[in-house]
Amino acid sequence: MTTPRDELHVLTGSYAVHALEHREREAFERHLQGCDSCEAEVRAFRETAARLAMARSLQPPAGMEQRVLAATYRTRQLPPLLARERRARWRSGAGRRWAQMPRLAVAVAAASVVAALALGGMQVVTQHRLDAARASGTAIARILGASDARIETMTTTEGGTVSVVVSDRQRGAVVSTSGMTVLSAGRVYQLWVIDAAGARSAGLLPVAGQAGPVLASGVLPGDRIGITVEPSGGTSRPTTTPIVVIPA
Amino acid sequence: MNRLERGQRKPASDPAEEDERPDLARLLAQVARGDHSAFEVVYAELAGPVYGVVRQVLRDPAQSEEVAQEALLEVWRTASRFDPAKGSAAAWTLTIAHRRAVDRVRSEVACSRREEQAARETAGGSGDVAEIVVATMDRQRVRRCLGGLTELQRESINLAYYGGYSYPQVAALLGVALGTVKTRIRDGLIRMRDCMEVDW
Repeated sequence: MTTPRDELHVLTGSYAVHALEHREREAFERHLQGCDSCEAEVRAFRETAARLAMARSLQPPAGMEQRVLAATYRTRQLPPLLARERRARWRSGAGRRWAQMPRLAVAVAAASVVAALALGGMQVVTQHRLDAARASGTAIARILGASDARIETMTTTEGGTVSVVVSDRQRGAVVSTSGMTVLSAGRVYQLWVIDAAGARSAGLLPVAGQAGPVLASGVLPGDRIGITVEPSGGTSRPTTTPIVVIPA
Repeated sequence: MNRLERGQRKPASDPAEEDERPDLARLLAQVARGDHSAFEVVYAELAGPVYGVVRQVLRDPAQSEEVAQEALLEVWRTASRFDPAKGSAAAWTLTIAHRRAVDRVRSEVACSRREEQAARETAGGSGDVAEIVVATMDRQRVRRCLGGLTELQRESINLAYYGGYSYPQVAALLGVALGTVKTRIRDGLIRMRDCMEVDW
């Protein structure tokens, strides 16, 4: 979508109150990076909106404080961005790509945070890995940051949620799970890329109830991502009915 | 900042006491270094507005609690990314909370489209839920300043901010052109900003 500059400037208000839809927000965020006056206006509008929020302050439910405080003890914090990292992100466009993908980034982060609240310790590993992946520009980061990336989330027949971020352009998918049933000894979750010719293993998922992100490469449009329960070590082809199949 | 100082703080309803409220920006810097007691003070200051605004948008108490918790945990997790040069700690936190609430709404739009009439009646409405409302001095001022807007500005801001609707949805609800809503939201915020003497 192309929107003339002056029309973009009018969007400062809608942007500050999160009233832009995805594409327009992307366009506006690109515009914002070169528009100091827009940035100043957005800042002031956010402060203004904060007053609107203050005016609707409510006593939170009993127990919420305890749950949040408890979750902080299980959640690793993001390191600060160093000046050179900010510049590097800027040059490489990584920061921009992320800025263009806020909903996806939020979706991924939200899944992690939900898991932290629900599941405790393992979250630290997951979020840490995700951050590490982002920072190092791995295949996972390229998929998560791809302009055509989209997210599919499904529950499995055995409980738990599987999220798949797919990029056709990067020919890959990033799979993460949460709330999966912990398998008995000797059994594992195995990930498959399924096409017309059959299923090809994309590796094992860690045994914990929550795992990810795991990379599945060589995923083409029309393929599907499946998970089966297999004997430990995995198999060369699926031997059980998939607990979930997600169109890639 | 410790519990003692927090205990000494007088009710926020007295404007003269505003300066004695905790310095949230400084506290967030402490939070970024892993200081749990600093986070408790931030929580005490902002959990009410966070829960309130999320509830305003989502309505459903259980979902609101979930999203408010996620937002507050995000504050803990990303405190190192807060930049006091770019805005207040309260605005940073409430931006996170509101964005999460809106994301939740938009991700659910397909399965539960709220009825337009209901939206009109409830967005921006107050007192329709029997909740303990936390008194703040902002409340009266916001009401007064909202009262100074044109009806279209006020409705646009109510639906967009409190209702969590995108501006095209706001335009549809109000039966006006897209461009009109865009400018009304911006003009309304400019007036609110000036009326509330926001100094950013």
